[in-house]
Amino acid sequence: MKKYNTPLLDDLEKGPWPSFVTEMKKAGKKNEMANDAVGHLEKCYSTKKGYWKHGGIVGVLGYGGGVIGRYSELGEEFPGVAHFHTVRLNQPSGWFYTSKVLREICDIWDKYGSGLTNVHGSTGDLVLLGCRTEALEPLFAEYSSRGWDLGGSGSDMRTPSCCVGPGRCEWANYNTLEACYQITQEFQDELHRPMFAYKSKIKFAGCACDCVASAARADFSVIGTWKGDIKIDQKEVKNYANKMDINAEIVDMCPTKCMSYNGKELKINNSECNRCMHCITRMTKALRPSGERGVTICMGSKAPIVVGSLLSWVIVPFMKMEPPYTEFKAFVRKCWEWWDDNAKPRERIGEVIEAKGMRSFLEAIGVPPQPQQIREPRKDPFIFYTDEDIARFKAKEAEEKKTGKYKF
Amino acid sequence: MDINELKDKIYAFVEAAKGKKKLKEKDIIKGVSAEQGLTPEEVKKAMREMIDVGKLMYSYGGGASSVEIPSEEYLREKGLIK
Amino acid sequence: MALPQRKTDIGPPHYKQFLPPVIQKNYGDWKYHEVLTPGSMVHVAESGDKLWTVRMASPRILSTDTIREICALAEKYCDGYLRFTSRNNVEFLVSDEKKVAPLMKELKDQKRTVGGIGPMISNVVHTQGWVHCHSACTDASGLVKSMMDELHDYFTTKELPNKVRLAVACCVNMCGAVHCSDIAIVAVHTKMPEINHDNFKNMCEMPTVIGACPTRAISPDPAKKSVKINPDKCMYCGNCFTVCPPISIKNPERDGVAIVVGGKVSSLRSNPKFSKLVIPYISNEPPRWPKVVAAVKHIVDVYAKNAKKHERVGEWIERIGWERFFSLTGIDFTFQSIDDFTFMRDTMRTASTFKW
Repeated sequence: MKKYNTPLLDDLEKGPWPSFVTEMKKAGKKNEMANDAVGHLEKCYSTKKGYWKHGGIVGVLGYGGGVIGRYSELGEEFPGVAHFHTVRLNQPSGWFYTSKVLREICDIWDKYGSGLTNVHGSTGDLVLLGCRTEALEPLFAEYSSRGWDLGGSGSDMRTPSCCVGPGRCEWANYNTLEACYQITQEFQDELHRPMFAYKSKIKFAGCACDCVASAARADFSVIGTWKGDIKIDQKEVKNYANKMDINAEIVDMCPTKCMSYNGKELKINNSECNRCMHCITRMTKALRPSGERGVTICMGSKAPIVVGSLLSWVIVPFMKMEPPYTEFKAFVRKCWEWWDDNAKPRERIGEVIEAKGMRSFLEAIGVPPQPQQIREPRKDPFIFYTDEDIARFKAKEAEEKKTGKYKF
Repeated sequence: MDINELKDKIYAFVEAAKGKKKLKEKDIIKGVSAEQGLTPEEVKKAMREMIDVGKLMYSYGGGASSVEIPSEEYLREKGLIK
Repeated sequence: MALPQRKTDIGPPHYKQFLPPVIQKNYGDWKYHEVLTPGSMVHVAESGDKLWTVRMASPRILSTDTIREICALAEKYCDGYLRFTSRNNVEFLVSDEKKVAPLMKELKDQKRTVGGIGPMISNVVHTQGWVHCHSACTDASGLVKSMMDELHDYFTTKELPNKVRLAVACCVNMCGAVHCSDIAIVAVHTKMPEINHDNFKNMCEMPTVIGACPTRAISPDPAKKSVKINPDKCMYCGNCFTVCPPISIKNPERDGVAIVVGGKVSSLRSNPKFSKLVIPYISNEPPRWPKVVAAVKHIVDVYAKNAKKHERVGEWIERIGWERFFSLTGIDFTFQSIDDFTFMRDTMRTASTFKW
């Protein structure tokens, strides 16, 4: 094994926070590829420049997603990173594991790859960092025969992910773990075989806390919510009053000012509550949602490339979200179909909605306009009217003339 | 149309675009189904069978995925040629 | 040895087999939880059953041997059950209260970093950086390590007014929710890319390259069978490089990082927000990026001193006003913080009611 002098990286082994350099060196002790990755990274640190080439054309037979080709420009100097492909393994919902399966994943990875991993990558997959092209098929045979499939990459549905949900959270408004599992299973073809203009992401969050950041980085942000009242346990409110200033910390911070507290009793005007979760998260023993549960589907969020970042927009204010998720699956299919028909290469659905107009999208997927979808109505007077729109306005007026009553 | 004949048409369609345009799955499905008067489903099925045996392959470049004719290197790696 | 038969389209294993019995029994029936220490919490079910969670930091890049060490801990204290969080922490799922303190002790003895629960700085969401990405203009892991060495008290012991979510993106592609974090580092190019015209015609599709530019800075260069870039319009996003490898944008002397603040993804109290640019440029200074670390620490300190309890960074700034944020932090306000891309009309002030 070649010994690299790595003064810059060595410095990153000091200090209290766990060191990624220590991890790379640890893998490098047993594995030539990981060892070369350390030398390669030291070179980047000394020249302030990266040396990885653009992704290459690698994958397992029949799939277009799940493997990201990675080659170094410095393959001769660091042969262990000449090929250093990424393999994405589709994580279990909620990132729950047993040590037994993690050990098995490690054993296979040590046999074929660098021994380096990301647990996990940004999208949610368990990422295996660094293997050669010829290792891909055996690796896939080993993993898939033991029940592990690849995740997404390229212009496909990316690996869906979800928050911990009902597995360990009292705030989950739907079964995020099961929804994530079943939707991933439903769209296996879309996950493995890139058929779209660009990537498409689905993330499942059990409540407005959004612990998977779905609102910021998912074409489909599926956020749990409810329709009933917040149930109040006044005895627990009293307990909280002993350790916190309920007026300052809860009532005054309520965005809709729908709460009051007189030192004895907490009151909520539920019809004015917008379900932001602040009070519930701060007084979890005293407050909990009730009544009908489901999701708000927001769409379109993405990072800045190409024309600026987007946060997801409310498209469907409320949908029931229960197995077998028939309505949700049909909804996703409709959205994809419209996106596919209208997208230019590398356009996410949010960008296509912006380019084609929200009306075009909503009409295509059969969702009516609702004030819950907007922050404010349009402010410009440059309005499209179709002949049918005007006919509808006229018909309404004719009806009003008959009844003598205006209906705005 | 016989499925093998369709596969030849798909292959020819992809070959014609080689070096000119990166084809998405959708481009092939739309293009061949229009050209041959077939349903998109038929074309998709045939194309997938070709991908499964390495007659065609998924590729990635320029930030997006496409479908291409496999290189010899790919076929050798997959054990499809010696 | 013969390889096993590959299977396709099987999807991930069902999560249920990885849930400890206490979760299987109380699935969906959790009543409340309490944070016990910055590194531990207990969830209580309607049935009265309890589940303890102990959270440990991870550098996200893990060797298989470290994963095995984590497995050994899980086997010793939680029958092998564990999970990972969306911010790459390890969570040991302990069903037996008697095992919580010994686990915490062993983690301490092994010098593991335990914490991150509650109004703290949790682990940092970040991208691959020089470790493994072609488009990186800094190293994300090194920045994270350097920042968290400095801020680790906020992970292990010290509380803040609310959570502070940090993120590092090694280029403007911003994999991960960097654009909606309380404080985030984004690496930036600052110089127009150079084009290798000889390779262009073989490797790139002209319409795709022209279409990739958000400011329409790219136009055909027929003489060279390539493209040219208008220097007045290029803002170095690198999207042309993404679609066309012969366009090179890496520049070790000019690549650096910017700091954005005030984003969030939850809807608690206020709507999700984007992070906004406050420090436009700091040079790449590996291995420790001292000025970046100092800037982040400074912003955290000013926030800790001035924000009201429960206010996130962005909510605090919206209450006091951005002009006050710049005066409190002493950060120079520059042209770069005024939007000249697509959002100027939404971001300029339209009233004379600002603070001095």
